[in-house]
Amino acid sequence: MTDMNILQVQNLKKDFGSHQVLKDITFSVNRGDVISIIGASGSGKSTLLRCINFLEDPTAGKILYHGKDAEQLNRAEYHSKVGMVFQSFNLFSNMSALDNCIIGQTLVLKRSKQEAKKKAMEYLEKVGMTPYMNARPGQLSGGQKQRVAIARALAMDPEILLFDEPTSALDPEMVGEVLSVMRDLAEGGLTMLVVTHEMGFARDVSNRVIFMDQGVIAEDAPPAEIFTNPKQQRTREFLSRILDK
Amino acid sequence: MSLPTTFFGWIQLLIEKYGPLFLNGAGFTMLIAISGTVLGFLLGLLVAIVRTIPVSKKDNIFKRILMKLVNIILNVYIEVFRGTPMIVQAMVIFYGSMMYLGLRMPALGAAIFIISINTGAYMAEIIRGGIISVDKGQKEAAHAIGMTHWQSMVHVVLPQAVRNIMPSIGNEFVVNIKDSSVLNVISVSELFFVGKSAAGTYARYFEAFAIIAAIYFVLTFTTTRLLRLLEKKMDGGKHYTICGSQSAADATITLEKGENVPHD
Ligand SMILES: Nc1ncnc2c1ncn2[C@@H]1O[C@H](COP(=O)(O)OP(=O)(O)OP(=O)(O)O)[C@@H](O)[C@H]1O
Ligand SMILES: [Mg+2]
Repeated sequence: MTDMNILQVQNLKKDFGSHQVLKDITFSVNRGDVISIIGASGSGKSTLLRCINFLEDPTAGKILYHGKDAEQLNRAEYHSKVGMVFQSFNLFSNMSALDNCIIGQTLVLKRSKQEAKKKAMEYLEKVGMTPYMNARPGQLSGGQKQRVAIARALAMDPEILLFDEPTSALDPEMVGEVLSVMRDLAEGGLTMLVVTHEMGFARDVSNRVIFMDQGVIAEDAPPAEIFTNPKQQRTREFLSRILDK
Repeated sequence: MSLPTTFFGWIQLLIEKYGPLFLNGAGFTMLIAISGTVLGFLLGLLVAIVRTIPVSKKDNIFKRILMKLVNIILNVYIEVFRGTPMIVQAMVIFYGSMMYLGLRMPALGAAIFIISINTGAYMAEIIRGGIISVDKGQKEAAHAIGMTHWQSMVHVVLPQAVRNIMPSIGNEFVVNIKDSSVLNVISVSELFFVGKSAAGTYARYFEAFAIIAAIYFVLTFTTTRLLRLLEKKMDGGKHYTICGSQSAADATITLEKGENVPHD
């Protein structure tokens, strides 16, 4: 049972000055979970992911990784196990797509150059970006950049991938290509925590949906329940607003 | 031999007599400018790297105090060397080290030393600006795959920072070619210094310095063009290749940079 558990977020709080952005967040992620995090702009979704990945220092609370306090773990090892895909891609712009997928493996995981390259090619293939492996990020479209960014994260052999609105910066016609990669990953059994405004993805792909409102988890339930029979009034209001659009 | 009476006559005489000396001076000027720029760049890089080491509240008190102290010292260095003329710095350092440290620096060594620490102060600010201007998402992505601060600096941030400030670095180099002339006050035989000696012999300042001006201009003009070429090179080739098929080479497509990339 505990072996199934990858992450436990316990009473997480985050303040920016006097602004309490995360108030008291507690939830856990089990192996194979695909969790969509939804909620209005400013409700703290990005901050939550950034705290889990220590891009922000939590003000209070704990993050347990396989039952161990993540802050006490080796940072490099934790980061390689908990990957992140950003809204704005953040591909290293001084490197080719291929090198983007190699560098973390050689520097952090100390893999040999050949092994890293083999792995990188494998994942570029998986996201359909093999033909562009020598291109610089500046030469790729948004959807292509995001697919390379996903390959870069996967090449680290993460146990869980965090996605922060991976399709929000994309032109509408490119959203599909990235979502279909993510769908494949979910079907392949990857554990994922996805902040998204794509309700279709939340409903069809995830096994759990977390609705955040003003720094707290207002509801955490399977999509069938959230979308058809939400317990909370505010969930209902949010969904009717977003689905009407 | 009678002395010339026309401008061109004087130019000809000065070139005949002092041509090799002028070329030698130009050589020293370039040597001082190049070493000063390279060493100044390295010094500035070091200072900028130290000044951008992140210090968080979680670090131990000793490290925080040390960093604060080091930062103050580096700030003083930058402010002082940017806030005083190099000609004055040259006098203070050259004669100060002679009188109080008993150090008799060779003129060329002293010139390179002075121009390097002077350039270092400017470079430190330029490079720090370059580091800060790299999109912070780059650093976050590096951390998100487990790179340390140093790894992300070396492999991600600094290469981009240095590329972005290449024009400013080139500019420092050109400034150094011209400003090394002030180092004539410590009697290093760079271009201005040899011009002064040549002019003095016949008291023909205008003609001698017209020649010196022409040489300076050729040096800076050529340097500027070469730097522009180098920048173009650094941006990589104009094309990149899409490998259409791993086996059939003729299946590759070459795209112009800036051309829209087709997506599937
Ligand atoms: N570095 C920061 N400093 C100060 N305030 C911040 C910082 N980062 C986020 N905030 C604030 O925290 C709140 C939550 O931000 P966050 O980005 O987590 O929201 P979000 O749910 O991801 O919203 P969106 O859907 O727009 O991405 C916002 O009010 C934001 O202004
Ligand atoms: Mg956000």
